[in-house]
Amino acid sequence: MTDQNIIEISGVEKRFGTFTAVKDLNLTLKEGEFFSLLGPSGCGKTTALRMIAGFQDHDAGTIRIAGQDMAHIPANKRPANMVFQSYAIFPHLNVGDNVAFGLRKLGLSKAEMKDRVAEALEMVELGGLQARKADELSGGQRQRVALARALVMRPKVLLLDEPLSALDKNLREAMQLEMRRLQQKLGITFVMVTHDQYEAMTMSDRIGVMFAGKLEQVDRPEVLYARPCNRRVASFIGGMNFLDARVTGDNGSTVDVNVQGFGPLTIDVNPNALSRSPDLLAGIRPEQLEIGAERPEGYDACLQGIVSDIAFYGESVHYYVRTDGMEDPVSVAVPNYFHTVDHKRGDQVWLGVQNASVIDLGAREA
Amino acid sequence: MAGFLKTETGRGLALSAPASLYVGLLVAAPLGILVAYSFWTQTYVEIDKTLTWANYLEAATDPLVRHLMLRSIAIAGAVTAATVMLAYPIAYFIAFRTQKKTLWLLLITIPFWSSYLLRVFSWKLILGFNGVMNSALISLGLIEEPLTFLLYNEFAVVLTLAHAWAPFAILPIYVSLQKIDRSLLEAATDLGCSKLERFIRVTLPLTVPGIIAASLIIFIPTVGDYVTPSLVGGSQGKMVANLIQVQFGPANNWPLGATLSLVAMASVGFVAILFVILATALGRRIR
Repeated sequence: MTDQNIIEISGVEKRFGTFTAVKDLNLTLKEGEFFSLLGPSGCGKTTALRMIAGFQDHDAGTIRIAGQDMAHIPANKRPANMVFQSYAIFPHLNVGDNVAFGLRKLGLSKAEMKDRVAEALEMVELGGLQARKADELSGGQRQRVALARALVMRPKVLLLDEPLSALDKNLREAMQLEMRRLQQKLGITFVMVTHDQYEAMTMSDRIGVMFAGKLEQVDRPEVLYARPCNRRVASFIGGMNFLDARVTGDNGSTVDVNVQGFGPLTIDVNPNALSRSPDLLAGIRPEQLEIGAERPEGYDACLQGIVSDIAFYGESVHYYVRTDGMEDPVSVAVPNYFHTVDHKRGDQVWLGVQNASVIDLGAREA
Repeated sequence: MAGFLKTETGRGLALSAPASLYVGLLVAAPLGILVAYSFWTQTYVEIDKTLTWANYLEAATDPLVRHLMLRSIAIAGAVTAATVMLAYPIAYFIAFRTQKKTLWLLLITIPFWSSYLLRVFSWKLILGFNGVMNSALISLGLIEEPLTFLLYNEFAVVLTLAHAWAPFAILPIYVSLQKIDRSLLEAATDLGCSKLERFIRVTLPLTVPGIIAASLIIFIPTVGDYVTPSLVGGSQGKMVANLIQVQFGPANNWPLGATLSLVAMASVGFVAILFVILATALGRRIR
């Protein structure tokens, strides 16, 4: 990644009739960055990507790629290429001709074109498959051909619309690592749209989380996980227990709070939180809670409850603990170190939490 | 018997029996009779049933037969080309440019709501010496004498048939356009194609099957059409089917008529196969 800005989006808006698909989008991406737009379906992330690609006009604001205003530049003239969700492999062409499709416009010599196609196919580990017919490709191979076909153009920006959603789980995870490796090797800016939080977190330098047309938070994955800006972002990324809290004292960078069920704690003020209020929403990640039959030692606050449900995930066990005065059970994730499930449904248990594990999520919404 | 009907083969045969019977009686049997006739000869009022190649020899050497056969193929080719070229933009419009697809498809079938003969006569009224076209042009002062080249020639045949066949070309082309995944078009644009290049490199090759289907549907029956040339073709618009009709009618030479029919069928089959091979190969060449 360099310090050079490659994409600068400011105040971009897109309306379809009375429906605003994208509201006041502001985003600056660095050259060589892997950026993901994450959000539920219909949140406007694909529309945003299509505006960068040029398939959709924007109604307000500016989009710049490599310093150039894209307002009157059609999709076929932009320095960006796209990998489509359906992969859009031309069914009437073989693999080699699919990859060469865009190159034919560049006036290259036959030998040069052949070399670049071969190189691109090597890059996605499909070397020598030029003559393979489009309908003889597996899902994973189609994805690779789509990738090679876009990368062979040597774009400044590669746009990926849910590139892995059509693949099965194992292949998807392998491709996540491979695409990340490829991106780092080539140093091309990747902009990926996905609804899969794990995909976004494993691959991206930064993630932008979108809801209802609005980009709510842009941050590195680990910051997004540790300091989400509000309830929506917190619940979309990872599991989260939401607890009501009341601010009792302000110490500058920390606040004293009284957290529902757990009682008094002193927590860090979240600089990302979008709003402030004495009525606070506190969040605790399930894996940050300690669970035990006895009151755990050395924790800043504890809570007693009854196990209402158990979910076994293999690498971890999730316990759902009900306690008086709380509507939803608190979920606790315990890593499965010793192949044991220590508590049964109906067991009385204690939960322990540290100050540092409680996240300030800003004002509690009504 | 009941056991046989329960097997896969038995059920298949039973299910296809009505259709097989129908095709057998109405297609295969007449065709067989036609083949038999083509090897017989006509002697005044009787049929000489001695097998002979005489009719085929006559069909091969008679310049009139060759002339009419070639003209039929040329006219059918022109009708096919004109119809497909006129139909493509309409199919394209329905597939890509309108939301009211059903309404448009319904409108396209409107010519079918009146009889074919009626439509041919309408063209006679439009193109004739005192027809709509000539009256209009004269009253506008554009011409002084009625135009005579409008009717009773190949042009009139092509025009009439292109109009009549339009839905048969529009529908298969529309289906093949409709089937194209829109993201393929976006991918072509994304890879640098202008709209025209995109059409030539993606849309057109992907609609080759539709174009072939439309062409065959039009070409094959047009070669054998005899109503249209009789009504609007005049003497220079006559086609091979008119000659065949004469053999079965006034000339009363059924064996020669049968031979001409079979020769026409073989020629059409040959041209059609050649066309499919060529069109497919051309479609594959576009990269």
